[in-house]
Amino acid sequence: MSGALLSRRPAVRVTGLRRAYGPRVIIDRLDLVIGRGEFVALLGESGCGKTTLLRALAGLDPIDGGSIEAPGRPAVVFQEHRLLPWDSLWRNVALGLNAAGARQKAGAALAEVGLSGRLDDWPRNLSGGQAQRVALARALVQEPELLLLDEPFAALDALTRIHMHGLVKALVARHRPGVMLVTHDVDEAIALADRILVMRGGAIAAEHCSPEPGAPAASRAQLLAELGVAHDPAAA
Amino acid sequence: MSQVETVTPFVLSRSDPAPGTLARPRRRAARLGGRGLFLLSWAVPVALLAVWEFLARQGYVTPQVLPAPSKVLATAVKLTISGSLLSDLGTSLLRAAIGFVIGGSIAFALGVLVGFSRIAEALLDRSVQMVRAIPFLALLPLVIVWFGVGEGQKIFLVALGVAFPIYINTTLGIRQVDPKLLELGRVQGLSTFTLIRRIVLPGALPSILTGVRYSLATAWLALVVAETLGAEAGIGFLAMDAREFLRTDVVVLTIVIYALIGVAADSAARLLERRLLAWHPNFGGTGR
Repeated sequence: MSGALLSRRPAVRVTGLRRAYGPRVIIDRLDLVIGRGEFVALLGESGCGKTTLLRALAGLDPIDGGSIEAPGRPAVVFQEHRLLPWDSLWRNVALGLNAAGARQKAGAALAEVGLSGRLDDWPRNLSGGQAQRVALARALVQEPELLLLDEPFAALDALTRIHMHGLVKALVARHRPGVMLVTHDVDEAIALADRILVMRGGAIAAEHCSPEPGAPAASRAQLLAELGVAHDPAAA
Repeated sequence: MSQVETVTPFVLSRSDPAPGTLARPRRRAARLGGRGLFLLSWAVPVALLAVWEFLARQGYVTPQVLPAPSKVLATAVKLTISGSLLSDLGTSLLRAAIGFVIGGSIAFALGVLVGFSRIAEALLDRSVQMVRAIPFLALLPLVIVWFGVGEGQKIFLVALGVAFPIYINTTLGIRQVDPKLLELGRVQGLSTFTLIRRIVLPGALPSILTGVRYSLATAWLALVVAETLGAEAGIGFLAMDAREFLRTDVVVLTIVIYALIGVAADSAARLLERRLLAWHPNFGGTGR
């Protein structure tokens, strides 16, 4: 699936990316291409550079070498919802949109995440899962070609997380942005991604493509082994 | 005699020989209920006023020292009817308003600049902080040399008093804006102007409004001081003029008016907080 998509102009093309804090090299000569409509999960233990990569792609941090080519501005959903507490939901979703038709667009985006009719409600009245859905609507209303998800479900409870997985999958299927999901949850990566990358020491250590659309890209045991958690009893 | 009566509630053991634990007065408060406690809290000032009235009427306190509250009230009515009270009040309020707008807007602009730009901070902040170390009323002799004792001196002093609380709270508020929200603004592609309007200023608003509340108090203080020096109109002039003729009833009236306006200004600032910070859990009610 990803092969066909890659033939078109990709959502992002990273070549020889390097990022260092002083003498400490976080990302070294990293290459990555994400196609339109492709869902890539980036796994790795903390400190492996996966969030650094996401921040570089988002344009939040400068890069020290290599290049990042992306057709437009990527949209980001962070681990925290980062809603503006002083703005109503529709104004939150419309943040960064042009004024013309912003309310309508925001309303449609809110409806897509199951919050129709809540345009004039306030962030403080939302549960954690609802707030994260608004953050998702805020990202998608920008019609991004690249959607960056920085552990957006990590702070949610297990049931809400499963609901969110279904929602994200459906929305990505409809809008077809390229997606990079940074996570440390192996099951989440398997459930959502067409392609799973395992990052270690600032480079991509392993890559798994799903053999056919909808099929898991890799087995749990395999991924856990690559992450260095070989003795997990569930994997045995 | 009445003094003895007011003391009795504290002598708990008189009717209750068992030595009271700490819970006992608490239980008594519970029996009174919120309404009872509210009434009790007003009983003391009312009683004090009554005692004052009684002492003044009986001639224990001469009117030159402290006139009876009823006399002050009568003077207030008389001066209101003649119109002089309202015109002096208007003069004072106008001075306060002009000084507040001038001092407040300059301080706000500087605060935004310094809150935002490290360069502006390096250029301005230390000097402002050094000037701030001076109690602004200590500048009064110098201000009189510069402006004389006309309107300029009064407005300048109010503006000066207003400026520091607003400056400090504006810079503080801007610094305290959640960096994660600023990052979000960048991710959403906001221009600098939009970033300020949609994220920085709303985020700094609670702190800025705290500054406004403080500055209203200092504005009022500055005005009282400024007006007692060579004013030709205004509440302060009324007080100084009355002092010449030993009209302590008018003097007390002006003091009460200063107090009332201080309370009114504070309520206005609180109202502003409730309206503008409806989203904030510490200020707003529920929902909107």
